[in-house]
Amino acid sequence: MAESETGMSAIPVASIEGAIEFIFTPQSSNVTGGKKVGGIDQVIELTLNQLWLTVVALAIALAVALPIGLYLGHRHKWESFAISFGTAGRGIPELILIAFFAAAIGVGFRNVVLALAILGIPPILANAFVGINQVDRSSVDAARGMGMSELEILRKVEIPLAIPTLMGGLRSATIAVVATATIAPYGGYETLGDFIINENVYGENGVLAGAILVALLAVTLELTLAGVQRLLTSPGLKLRPA
Amino acid sequence: MPSGEATTDITSASGASSVSYQGATKRYGDAKVAAVDELTLEVPAGEICVLVGPSGCGKTTAMRMVNRTVEMSSGDILVGGESVRSKDAAQLRREIGYVIQQIGLFPHRTITQNIGTVPQLLGRKKEWISERSAELLSLVGLDPEFGDRYPAQLSGGQQQRVGVARALAADPLVMLMDEPFGAIDPINRERLQNEFLRLQAQVRKTVLFVTHDIDEAIKMGDRIAVMREGGRVEQYATPAELLMAPANEFVEDFVGADRALKRLALMRVSDIDLWEAPWATAGQSTAEVRAKLDAPDVEVPYPLLVDAERRPLGWLSERDLAADTVPSQPDSPLGPVLDRDDVMRDALADMLQGGAQYAAVTDAGGRVAGVLSVEIISEFLVSPAAKEEEHGAAERPLSTEKVDD
Amino acid sequence: MIEPTVLAAAGQVGEDFFKDRDAGSLCQANNANLFCWDWAKNNIDRYEPFFIQHVELVVISVLIGFVAAFGLALLSRRWSWLRVPFLLGTGVLYTIPSVAFFFLLLPFTGRGRDTAIIALSVYTLQIIYRNTILGLDNVPRASIDAARGMGMTDRQILRKVELPLASPEIVTGLIVATVSTVAIATLAALAGGGGLGEVIVGKEKLGLDFKTNLIIAGGLTIALAIVFGLMLMGVQRMLTPWRRARPA
Repeated sequence: MAESETGMSAIPVASIEGAIEFIFTPQSSNVTGGKKVGGIDQVIELTLNQLWLTVVALAIALAVALPIGLYLGHRHKWESFAISFGTAGRGIPELILIAFFAAAIGVGFRNVVLALAILGIPPILANAFVGINQVDRSSVDAARGMGMSELEILRKVEIPLAIPTLMGGLRSATIAVVATATIAPYGGYETLGDFIINENVYGENGVLAGAILVALLAVTLELTLAGVQRLLTSPGLKLRPA
Repeated sequence: MPSGEATTDITSASGASSVSYQGATKRYGDAKVAAVDELTLEVPAGEICVLVGPSGCGKTTAMRMVNRTVEMSSGDILVGGESVRSKDAAQLRREIGYVIQQIGLFPHRTITQNIGTVPQLLGRKKEWISERSAELLSLVGLDPEFGDRYPAQLSGGQQQRVGVARALAADPLVMLMDEPFGAIDPINRERLQNEFLRLQAQVRKTVLFVTHDIDEAIKMGDRIAVMREGGRVEQYATPAELLMAPANEFVEDFVGADRALKRLALMRVSDIDLWEAPWATAGQSTAEVRAKLDAPDVEVPYPLLVDAERRPLGWLSERDLAADTVPSQPDSPLGPVLDRDDVMRDALADMLQGGAQYAAVTDAGGRVAGVLSVEIISEFLVSPAAKEEEHGAAERPLSTEKVDD
Repeated sequence: MIEPTVLAAAGQVGEDFFKDRDAGSLCQANNANLFCWDWAKNNIDRYEPFFIQHVELVVISVLIGFVAAFGLALLSRRWSWLRVPFLLGTGVLYTIPSVAFFFLLLPFTGRGRDTAIIALSVYTLQIIYRNTILGLDNVPRASIDAARGMGMTDRQILRKVELPLASPEIVTGLIVATVSTVAIATLAALAGGGGLGEVIVGKEKLGLDFKTNLIIAGGLTIALAIVFGLMLMGVQRMLTPWRRARPA
């Protein structure tokens, strides 16, 4: 078996069966000498780690970005900033961000979560802005004229009408955060990505298993959020025009 | 006039073609009721034919069958004697002007480029298009400078004028206009209607005009087709005939209860035979004046006092005629004075407001030309003459203001 | 304290970590410094091949994604039932984290640039496809109706009316796609695809916790994103003169 510089096989020998076996049964590993790797327990542990990381990071991002985005959108201020911010946020190189935080601040959950939160803020802010900004002005006008306070307008008129866009922002953020949580091991926190990036520990089957698991996790989260979005969207918005 | 190519003189180039619907039908899917059911209609060249009716009656569908933006299910339509099916659809449409309610200018092109759309498709050069565009912009009442602007920089009324200019650019044989002024505010709409009629007086295109507004139809149409569901034509006639002799209850309801008054809005005072006006000047012998009054054709009971230029000063009464000579001051006031060019409806309104049964009519110089009475008007309305048009659409009196240009 | 797994990921930590041409080890060992200017000045040329690789990755992937997305968009205009499956399909693929995507492709395409390009192209495909569809949908119906009624063929309408009017949206898609790809391409190194990620986790590792290295790599990536972004925004402005005209 030819070996490349990093110790991974050039001829892939991973197989679906091998990957599935890896997920459920602990395997012996070349590197950690004796201690078994893989198996359903470790899978669950790392999955939960990744989920927890994602949820906390998103919570922080929401707490920071949502109020700002909603406010700016409601006041129709700083449009170019909000939109460019969203686009620019997608240009943040995740790997370098994680590595930098690890190097500069330290490793571990706390620091990784911060890096992830930073990644989640731009899409949430930008979408919150766009969603609220684009709400039909006549609806807002009518609400104001009827005596609603600014906060009430936001709560009862603008946010419900902006749900699709707001949720879109959350979903974008989730995709970015889950993707980066995958490489959280570089920041010292173990997630499913561990299986993928450490082939010499987990073997090719482990790598494939990791990739499959991460993909499944991401898609599941996305579908869940899509479902939540449908639930939250008022039926009036879902109607197709006559 | 653009140089180097065939004339772009709008009034002469390709002229206009007639449009002939021959049992044209449009059925959607397997619907039981056709949207347009065997429509047969003749539109003579150079005339404006208005298709009017309630929403959903098929008038727009019928119009669109001419340029095949709706394809007929059966039947045929001839334009200038040729079936619309005889050419490729895109080819056909380049020869037919198309104006829609939402205007549909291309936001990403300048006004000149918009106007030049069809000419460009037909292969005209940029210079030709520039000149043509400037010509057309003047024609529709816009400063040729607008050519370099973008649609977003124009108001709704201006955009619609550009829409009309665009439709005229390739000198089409027929113009299709689907509620073209519907999206404009009423004041500008009236202006646009008037200007289009003046334009038509110059270019004489065959126009198929769709509207749901009977007043617009009466104003704009040489001939009007009142339609109902299925594109069924309940009556196809000139406005005069439509108003005075509605074919059935549907048409009668549609034209409205004030159709007699609407009829009067289509003509001028000069279009009717006026009563002789027996006039007298100050100092004339009253015996002479009486003799005039007794003449067989004279219907007016009292004479008009006029000055040396025959301009009316007032009406003479019995008391005035009791003297030997005509006094210089009339006993009765003049009351409403009408002009020959006045719209008949306004003339009637003036008389009624002035409480007069009859009024003096003057010509352009202010000289007495005759007397108009309510009796003349009512006799006219019940006569067969009322069913005939005095003017085509392009020469009709416009709006209720005096024509002063 | 760095976890064993992290060290393992950094590969042959011992030798490479302190392999240096010049004074790197001094700076590397002295990690308290945020940025070593000297080292940066002396070693900046080491980044060049990776930078070029990175640019190549981005440009090729965006081009492929653009052409493919454009094709899909035209297809789904013609056969509108294709829209939903296309949107769902590309959407699902987009959700999968790039790292996972790379390694799911591995059994089929092996390590190397091709795998990276395929994955990156799929991501750009999703973004550009969505924006293209959105842009085409937003073309005013009245303009299309007028165009058809005036005698333009379907092809002419697409070329002269729909595409120009949809171009702002399409270019926006290009901008987002390009900026995202610049960022994601840093991970290509994990699949052996080259790019600036190599200096962090790839062949020419200069150390995962070597801050100067990270700053340079990060700076280059961000600079690249900004340059591409600004270029494309310029293109967008050029293509849409009518938007700059002030309304009446």
